[in-house]
Amino acid sequence: MKNKILYYLVYTQYWLITWMKIIPFILRHGLYDTVRDLRQYPWLWIMLKVNRLLGKFGKGRSLRYQQAVSILVSGIVSGVTDMLGNIFFKPDRLIIHEDMIPPEIFNAMGLSTFMAELNGIMLPMIEPHAMEQYIDESENQGIPPDICSLPKSTMGLFLKGQTPPAKAMVTSNLPCDAGMNSYALIEQKLKLPTFRLDIPYHFKDERALNYFVDELKRMITWLEKKTPGKMDWDLLREICEERNRMVELEMELWDLARIRPAPIAGEAIWLSHMWFFNLFPGTRQATVIFQKILELGKQNLAQGISAVKNEKFRALLWNPPLTHFIDLFNWAEHAYGVSLIMDSMTFNRLPFIDTATNDTMLQGLALNIMNGPMARHTRGPAENYMDDIFYIHKQFDLDMLWVAGHIGCKNTQALNGILREKCREAGLPLLIIDYDLSDPRIVPREGIINQIDHFMENIMKAKRLDPKSKAA
Amino acid sequence: MNRPMPTHTHFFEDLLNDPMNYLVEASMDKGKIPIGYTCSYVPEVLLSVDPLIPIRIRAPGVLSTEIADIYLSSVICSYTRSVLEMAMDDQYGFLKGWVFAASCDHMRRLYDNMKYLNQADFIHILDVPHRHGNDSFSWYADELKMLLDNISSHHEIRFDQAALSRAIQDHNDFSALLTSIGDMRKPKNPPLSGTEFQAITLSSLVAPRQSILPKIQEFKESLSRQEGISDYRARLLIVGGQMDNLGYIRTIESTGGLVVADHLCTGSIPRLAPIRMDEDPVTAIAAHYLNRISCPRMMEAFDSRVDDIMKSIEEYRVDGVIIEFIKFCDTWGIESSLLANTLRKKGVPVLCLEREYQMTGEGQIKTRIQAFIESMGK
Repeated sequence: MKNKILYYLVYTQYWLITWMKIIPFILRHGLYDTVRDLRQYPWLWIMLKVNRLLGKFGKGRSLRYQQAVSILVSGIVSGVTDMLGNIFFKPDRLIIHEDMIPPEIFNAMGLSTFMAELNGIMLPMIEPHAMEQYIDESENQGIPPDICSLPKSTMGLFLKGQTPPAKAMVTSNLPCDAGMNSYALIEQKLKLPTFRLDIPYHFKDERALNYFVDELKRMITWLEKKTPGKMDWDLLREICEERNRMVELEMELWDLARIRPAPIAGEAIWLSHMWFFNLFPGTRQATVIFQKILELGKQNLAQGISAVKNEKFRALLWNPPLTHFIDLFNWAEHAYGVSLIMDSMTFNRLPFIDTATNDTMLQGLALNIMNGPMARHTRGPAENYMDDIFYIHKQFDLDMLWVAGHIGCKNTQALNGILREKCREAGLPLLIIDYDLSDPRIVPREGIINQIDHFMENIMKAKRLDPKSKAA
Repeated sequence: MNRPMPTHTHFFEDLLNDPMNYLVEASMDKGKIPIGYTCSYVPEVLLSVDPLIPIRIRAPGVLSTEIADIYLSSVICSYTRSVLEMAMDDQYGFLKGWVFAASCDHMRRLYDNMKYLNQADFIHILDVPHRHGNDSFSWYADELKMLLDNISSHHEIRFDQAALSRAIQDHNDFSALLTSIGDMRKPKNPPLSGTEFQAITLSSLVAPRQSILPKIQEFKESLSRQEGISDYRARLLIVGGQMDNLGYIRTIESTGGLVVADHLCTGSIPRLAPIRMDEDPVTAIAAHYLNRISCPRMMEAFDSRVDDIMKSIEEYRVDGVIIEFIKFCDTWGIESSLLANTLRKKGVPVLCLEREYQMTGEGQIKTRIQAFIESMGK
């Protein structure tokens, strides 16, 4: 009873906090314009339901764990209102960019950004069926059904004309053929000046670094010609330094996650990284969120409290999280005591940026982009993929590997054979979850749960801890 | 269109039945070194410097890919799966090396799996940029130099300027011969079908040039005695990636279509364009392969691909375009939608044909081609 009361108190507190961010934004934008934009961009309706995440992430969790994920949700709401502010209040400086190109340089140039893939990633978290209409739109235009549903969602959004007008677009050859080629279609649809960064396949030597730094310089010059943006190197330095502070905090967070049982886990680790490092790196707001989450983890550690009440298994998640079953690990914690400790999208080995000179900053950013999770894993040689998995396995004292086996990701599907054999050799239990990243019609939530049940019962010899929810 | 195959065509077709045909075997007896390659961005001309002979990797006769599917999964293009299946069956054991290009997701993963499964003692992957420009050109030229160094150290071959220039000259002479035959398809009643032309181009990719050259010359001479083909309903241009099975074009032509031009990885346009002889050989080769080969993997080249297709439509008096691609190919999958819509807006009839690598579904393909030709009012 006490736990329930505390849960609802925290829920209500953050529910109010998030609305306190949304309402002023609407008032600033104006009621008439808000209604007009809700009609023009219907996905805004789904974003308005963002508080659902408070329930999905918070329900049934220990107090500080719930507080950590609620702080994260409030940070997400702030981010969304900032992004919408960019779109609505600074349209003359707006550029569209691909998710593989983080926005540090754009922000240092004074440009506003709209990440094209954001809707395809974020909306299914709130409403699992959100992207189906956009996927269908792409397929109706002749895009084959086997193409990854994230670029299909993104293309569908543009084909439906539900994206804000922008000055230019920046994309790259990452992370895969479908992602790269989707921009050919988007460019033809928007008729926007488009810049494409070329990232080498052999990216681990100095030759590749120099090549890609030159690419970034070429991009800056191009943006200065095509948009009102002007490069402010001092501002870039501030952004990179703030980003480095965020990285330091994140590494402390990882140190906590290494402890068995972990005082902090799940979305507090992976979603904080995914959201802030990809969308708002180098902002004070992001650093503050990391500080708060870290502090809650430290308090748990000091009192000997684990994030997951009964941590029986520690899992590594590979590939992007299951967006339309975003509370998977909240469910798994209660069903089997499985705690998500680390994931492929969060882990990286080259986190800090040297801010000594303009060139060192570009080198640091270049290394981060080239070594981004979907760059080095999805597109790069298989060694990157395998080496990171088994390194993380040891570093974080993990018991199992769950691969989000997105049916549309050919790059990772084609490594499953090697991975199976290597996991067998290493004695690492492996679950490959068959599903589709953005389309729950392929494998619904129940189908995913069935696969996990089979794995946990047959391979891990674990019984469900929540017979009631199984019956439900 | 019903037309008996001339004797020469059977000769070329026979070479396609087995990865190690008798011309390759005879060359190996003379000390030649066959190197396999999988993509048009691997310069075959570099692999034809004596004593090397380039062999475009095909997987004829693979009926199922059970073993390859364990590694590559069943959602990867069936060309790469068929190649891995054949490699694991040791049917490429005669090759003395493999050269891949990191040209698409599927090729990269084929390389990864081949490397893991230890199927070759010499294996190299070229990093091909995704855009044109000075920096990417230098990158690609350096990649070619690294490939040559790697081959040199492995097979103890010297790639001096003279040898490279000779290989380019041979390439240009050979390409000119094939182009002259391909050009015979421009008139209203061409003396050869698309199937016959494809048999020549494909066999030239899997057999030593010097061995096959006299037969192609004979074939060209025989064409002057051939009656022009007139019993066709529509002149077709075929656009797409790897298509190395004669069955597809044969099926298309059995319904009354006549394939008069192709923009295929394994075809003639623009692959057979000459390489410049007036500059450093590696530079000239890099320029040819990076700038002339036209694959949707090149990010900024969509408009030029459309222009090239429109040019061929005019030159070869094409009635309709067939865009073919192997299922699960992401680059061609998205390109086909965009390309079809663009060409249709220009008034060009287009059929998108998603297919498997091996010839399957002949009846369905026939029905679709017939419907396409009828939709053009032919």
